[in-house]
Amino acid sequence: MTDRRAFLRGASVLLGSTSLGQVMAAFAAGPRKAIYFSESELGVLRALVDVILPATDSPAASAADTHYFIDLALPACATATAQKTFREGLTALGAGYATLTPAEQVAKLKARAEKDMPLDYEQSFFKILKDYTLVGYFLSEIGATQALAYIRVPGGYQGDLPLAPNQKAWAI
Amino acid sequence: MATSNTFDAIVVGSGMSGGWAAKELTEKGLKTLVLERGRNIRHVVDYTTALKDPWQLPHNNRATTADKAAQPIQSTLYLYDQSTKGMFVDDNKYGYEQAQPFNWYRGYHVGGRSLMWSRHVFRYSDIDFGANEREGVGIDWPIRYADIAPWYSHIERFIGASGDNPKLPQLPEQILQPPFEMNALEKHLRASMEKAFTDRKLICSSAAVLSREHNGRGPCQGRDQCARGCPYSAYFSSNGVTLPAAAATGNLTLQPDSVVHSLIYDEGKSRVTGVRVVDVNTHKTTEYFARVVFMCASTLNSTAVLLNTRTARFPNGLGNDSGELGHNLMDHHNGGGATASYSGLKDRYYRGRRATSMYIPRFRNIAKREEKFLRGYGYEVYTGRGNWTRGVDSPEFGADFKNEITLPGEWSLYTEGYGETLPYHDNRIWLTHDKPDQWGIPRLNISMSYRDNERAMAKQMKDDAVEILQAAGLENIQGFNREIVPGSVIHEMGTARMGRDPKTSVLNAHNQIHAAPNVFVTDGSCMVSSPTQNPSLTYMALTARAVDYAVTQMKAGAI
Repeated sequence: MTDRRAFLRGASVLLGSTSLGQVMAAFAAGPRKAIYFSESELGVLRALVDVILPATDSPAASAADTHYFIDLALPACATATAQKTFREGLTALGAGYATLTPAEQVAKLKARAEKDMPLDYEQSFFKILKDYTLVGYFLSEIGATQALAYIRVPGGYQGDLPLAPNQKAWAI
Repeated sequence: MATSNTFDAIVVGSGMSGGWAAKELTEKGLKTLVLERGRNIRHVVDYTTALKDPWQLPHNNRATTADKAAQPIQSTLYLYDQSTKGMFVDDNKYGYEQAQPFNWYRGYHVGGRSLMWSRHVFRYSDIDFGANEREGVGIDWPIRYADIAPWYSHIERFIGASGDNPKLPQLPEQILQPPFEMNALEKHLRASMEKAFTDRKLICSSAAVLSREHNGRGPCQGRDQCARGCPYSAYFSSNGVTLPAAAATGNLTLQPDSVVHSLIYDEGKSRVTGVRVVDVNTHKTTEYFARVVFMCASTLNSTAVLLNTRTARFPNGLGNDSGELGHNLMDHHNGGGATASYSGLKDRYYRGRRATSMYIPRFRNIAKREEKFLRGYGYEVYTGRGNWTRGVDSPEFGADFKNEITLPGEWSLYTEGYGETLPYHDNRIWLTHDKPDQWGIPRLNISMSYRDNERAMAKQMKDDAVEILQAAGLENIQGFNREIVPGSVIHEMGTARMGRDPKTSVLNAHNQIHAAPNVFVTDGSCMVSSPTQNPSLTYMALTARAVDYAVTQMKAGAI
């Protein structure tokens, strides 16, 4: 159903999850310790989130602990099917993924993306990974304030300004 | 707390209408008791979430499954999140029956929905006040624009509002501060509509949001987090504007946690002498007395109190000689609209978060009579540039991808129409006496549905939205026409309508109960039709007008 809220969510399935709130609270409060994935899986996940969102002029996804976010969010928000798809996807990439060269990591994920893009979300490891990585990172303080532009109290509204060079999108 | 039980005036409810009744009554020298069923929310100091970042709020400001269980109706509202949930009722505590599905969004606290409203303030015109009579629908409004125009001005001068004055007969000229600026896409749409249509234009909504300082309040700081409460007093609320003015007179007694059970009717004197109040926390009942009572408890609740006031003279509810009390319930409907994107204007952006929307005033049934439906609709229009969510379903990743999605994306637009709903006698509320709440007050049952006129209108809403966006050269245009649960627009109106004839109406032209002349009902209950525009400004104007009349009548000894 189209409504204002759904329209602003874009294609993200995770942003529509009823459990995302609890996950964000646990993420803010909790120690950085894997609860769902094994240490080896978490290592692969850490490498993956940084391949998707590497350090640029803003920190990489792992600097915002996005891999730990996924560890909390996936069991809480994803369907059983999506969880299974995701776990199998991680296994298929192999535990050695974390130790590949950056070029090899990119090539391997690219191959996976090509294979997965025609699939439905629930069946697509790559689509779920992208969704959870982007949500985790851009909702974090690092993502919102360093990768995006955020002003708590803008001090007013200017409706029509020239786009400044390298102006980041507003976080909210 | 009240120290005596006798006042000159009692106001039931402290929201949009109650705040105005309190200000006007106290400024005219009447010792006034304002009863509010909910807790107190003090201006600014109790807006505890107002300046929090998303990551400072619990659950990153998202509703949890526990919130949704506690507030299954309230949590479906677009405004609902961690920062605002305290402004909305616990649905389980304040239950009601739904003979047909009805979303009743409410806040029980000082200020009521004036804290969370969408702030649009348009005047009604004689196109609206004369519509029922012209078309033979329901009954005629007992007033015309000339009766209320000075009171609209009175309200606008005090609350402060901004916007365009589009110079259209359907939107009478208002006292407004300059509008907030349009962004580049909105300017593009406005220019295209000027070229493509003679009857349609894009304007900045009239909104009770200050674009300039006003009486020491504001201006708006561009947070667009109004429903948390505004630390800058930049939008109108009872808490920030009318109740402080009332308190400054020294004549105000504000009593929260006090739910009104019923009015006290003295059969011997043939008049209402006061109200029965149940303390929300102790459940103790206390009676308060006054010469005049203003019912401002919100559309459904004011009528519920009248229905629950059953006496020998009024066995079916106070002032219900006509049998119309509880009937003719209306809400707007907003099922039809469209979304679109635009790949141009990539070099323009905006700064800050505007707390108002753009608006396309009603154009149907203005210049010519439509064949498929009566009345019309206006559109709210929301636009912005895309954010990182556009990266979710792309195959790309890596540094270039990250750089790209952190830049402003394409422009997008969302618009939905807000349509008038006709008054139908059998859209109604009634009391379920066998199902009292914990304070011994019967719960409401609500039965409302939209009919053929609204459905035909919603279809046209969608088609017109698509046509307007096509003419502007927008892309990926998707029209929609979804089913709407009544109540969802949060503009409940009717159930104690005004009228000229006591046989067919509850209130007269001064919002006075025909057969109980020291009781005035000035919230949305009084509405005779439900024009296209947002109704709060009209409630405020009718309230101030009714107070002026009531005090004149009191001085003359008539009531």
